[in-house]
Amino acid sequence: MSGLSRRAATAVLAGLALLAAGCGSSTGTPRASSGVAGATQTGAGAQPSFTPACKPPAGRTYRVALVIAQGGLGDQSYNDLAYAGFTRAKQDFPIQGQVIQSPDIVSQGRSILQQAGQQGFDLVIDLEFSTGDALKEVAPQYPNTHWMIVNLPSNAPDVTGYLFDEQDGSFLAGALAALVTRDTGIKGINPDHTIGVIGGTKSPGIDKFIVGYIQGAHQVDAATRVLVKYADGFGDPANGKQLAQALFDQGADIVYQVAGGTGTGIIQAAQQAGHFAIGVDTDQDSLAPGSVLTSMVKRTDFAVYDAIDRLVCGTLKGGESITLGLAQGGVGLSPMKFTRSLVPAADLSRVDRYRQDILSGRIKVWNVISQGYPSWYR
Amino acid sequence: MIETAPAPLSGGPVRGRLPGALRLLAPFLIALGAGAVVLWATGRDAFAVYGQLADAALGGGTQIADTLAATTPILFTGIATALAFRAGAFNVGVEGSLYVGAFAAAWTGFSFPHLPGAPLLALAALLAALAGAAWALLPALARAWLDVSEVVTTLMLNYVAILLTSYLVNDHFLARGVANSMSPMIAPQARLPPLLPGSQLSAALLLGLLLLAGYWFLFSRSTLGFELRLVGLAPRLARASGVDLRRSLVIAMLASGLVGGWAGGFQVLGVIHRFVDGFSPGYGFTGIAVAILGRNHPLGILAGALFFGILTSGGGMVQLVSSIPIDLVNVVQGTLMVFAVADLGRLGWLRRWAGRA
Repeated sequence: MSGLSRRAATAVLAGLALLAAGCGSSTGTPRASSGVAGATQTGAGAQPSFTPACKPPAGRTYRVALVIAQGGLGDQSYNDLAYAGFTRAKQDFPIQGQVIQSPDIVSQGRSILQQAGQQGFDLVIDLEFSTGDALKEVAPQYPNTHWMIVNLPSNAPDVTGYLFDEQDGSFLAGALAALVTRDTGIKGINPDHTIGVIGGTKSPGIDKFIVGYIQGAHQVDAATRVLVKYADGFGDPANGKQLAQALFDQGADIVYQVAGGTGTGIIQAAQQAGHFAIGVDTDQDSLAPGSVLTSMVKRTDFAVYDAIDRLVCGTLKGGESITLGLAQGGVGLSPMKFTRSLVPAADLSRVDRYRQDILSGRIKVWNVISQGYPSWYR
Repeated sequence: MIETAPAPLSGGPVRGRLPGALRLLAPFLIALGAGAVVLWATGRDAFAVYGQLADAALGGGTQIADTLAATTPILFTGIATALAFRAGAFNVGVEGSLYVGAFAAAWTGFSFPHLPGAPLLALAALLAALAGAAWALLPALARAWLDVSEVVTTLMLNYVAILLTSYLVNDHFLARGVANSMSPMIAPQARLPPLLPGSQLSAALLLGLLLLAGYWFLFSRSTLGFELRLVGLAPRLARASGVDLRRSLVIAMLASGLVGGWAGGFQVLGVIHRFVDGFSPGYGFTGIAVAILGRNHPLGILAGALFFGILTSGGGMVQLVSSIPIDLVNVVQGTLMVFAVADLGRLGWLRRWAGRA
C-alpha cells in the first residue's frame, strides 16, 4: 500500500493544486471585469433608479430564486454585482429569496431550474448563460413561475431576457479616449493619437464592446489609431499586463480593458507606465486612482432589481426582452471621481453631447450581436 | 506466465490494515464529521442539515434521477483513472481527455446534422474515444520509452486541453448570435435518450455501468487484466514472467484516456448537448479521488462516484429550500479528498481500537 499511496497522494495533491488554480480563471463569458461591486454613479447623466415602481401589495410574499453562474459568489464581478441587486431588492420588496450555487452549474443547471419550477417560485433569476436553452423547455411546464435570464434574449412565453447596450457605453468610452489622447497637456498623454483596447477572447460578445469603442473614437477623429489585442482569457492578469505594456510601447496612452480578471493587470500596467486604462462592468476607477480614466459600467444589479420590481408590481409580462441602455442608466461611464479634474470641461460636455445623440437616435452605434460584424472590422 | 494467487485489490502489505469495511468507510465518516464541525460551529444542526441534503438528493424519483445524472461523469472518470492506476500508471490527465472528448463529440453532433441517430451517435462516441486516447498517447510513450513521469506530463496536458478547446470554440465554432463561449447545439438525434423525462439522467449512466462491468471482467477474468495488474503491483516480477512492460503501460494509459474521452463525450451527448468552454467542474480530478477511495474496486468506484453525485446534486438543490451555503459541500469534498489518500491503518491506536470493536 505504502508505495502506491505515496504516489497516489502526490497525484491527488497535484490534481488539487490544478483544481485550485483552475478556480481562479473564469470562462469566456462577456462578463468582463473584476472590481468591487458597489454603488456606481454613471457620470454623464442618468443612473439607474433603485426605487420601487409601485407600493408593494400588502400581505403577499413573493418567492424568488437567484441561480448563480460559473465563477460563483465572491467573483467580485458579474455574480457579486447581481447578488448586490438581489440584496437591495430584498430590502425594498416583500420577497423571500433563495440563492442557489451549484458545484456543477453547467450540467446541473437544467435540473435546478426544473426543481425550482416544481417548488413554485414566483420568479427564478438565471445568471448562467449555458442554461438558456434549458429554459425554453422548462419554463412552459410551470406557467405560474416567471423566469429571467441575463445577457440572452427571451426564448419562451414566461421568460424575460435582460440585455445591455454595451456598445453604446463603449462608444462613449472610445470618444472620451480619442478626445483625451489629443491633449498632450494632460500628464501621461503622448503626441501620438493612438489608443488601445484589449479583449478577453475573440468573440462577438467581446467585439460588441470593441466595435463600439472604435466607432466612438472615430466619431471624434477618424485619424485616431485604435490598437486591438486579445488576451488568452479572463483570468490572467500577468498576460493582461504584458499586452497592455506592448500597446503602450506602440504609442497608445489609453487602453480599454474588456478582459475580466485579466484586466486588473491592464490597469496595473497603466499605473506603472504612467498612462491610462479604462475599466469595465463595475466602477474600477478606484483600483488605481488617477490611472483609470473612466469605467464603462454595466448594471447587472439593476437588471435583477428591475425584474423583481416588475414582478411585485405586476408588470413582468414575460416573453419579451428588456434592453438596458444609456437611457435607463443600464450602461454608461463612471463618475470619474479621480480623473474628472484632469479632463477639460469641453471634452466632457462633448462626450455628453454624444450621449444625447445616441439617445435621440442621431448616432447609431453598431451592435455586433444583432448586426454581425461591420465591414470595417474583422 | 507464472501461476500466482490473485493479488489483494489494494496490493499492500498486511501490516497496517484496518478491517475492510472500516478502512473503506473511514474517509467518508471523517469528511462528514468535518462538515458537521463546521455546521455546529456556525450554529446549525448538522443532523438536520444532512437530512435536508439527503432529502434533496434522494427524496423522490426526480431527485434520485438528478443525483444519478450527477454521478455519471464521475463514474466514467473514476473508471478511467482506476484503469491506469491498476497498471501502475498515475494518469492525472483524465480531465484533459475529458475536454477533448467532449469537444470531439460536440463537433460530430453539430457538424453532421443529416446523419441518422444511430450512426451519428456511434461516430460521436468513436471520435470522443479517439480524442481522449490520443490525449494520453504522448505521456504514455514518454513514460514507457523515456521514463518521463506521467504525473507531470498528464497534469500539464490538462491545461493544454482546456485552452485548446477554449480556442476552438471561441475562434472557430462559436454558436451564432450568442455572446458566450459555447458551440452550436448538437443535432437532436445525436442526444442520448433520457432515462426519466424531466430529468437530466440519460442512457450515459447505463453505458457507464456496462463499462464498469467490463472493467470488472478485465481485471478479474482476463489475461490482459491480470498482466496489467501484475505490472502495477510488481513490475520486475512481471518482466521476469515475460510481460512486456512498455506495451502494458501504453495499453493502460490509452484505455484510461479513451474512457476519459467518453466521460466528456457522453456528458455532451447526454446532458449539455453542446460544448461549453470550461464546462467541467473538475470531473477528472474527482475521478482520482473516486478511484483511490474505491481502492480501484468496481463497487468501490461506484460507491465513491455516488457519494460525490449526492453531494453535487443535493448540495445545489438543497438551497432551493434552505439557506445552506455551498461551502459545506466544499468542506466535505475537500476533507474527503485529503483523507482518501491517507493510510489510516498506520495509526496503531486506531487499528487496535478497530480490532476490539
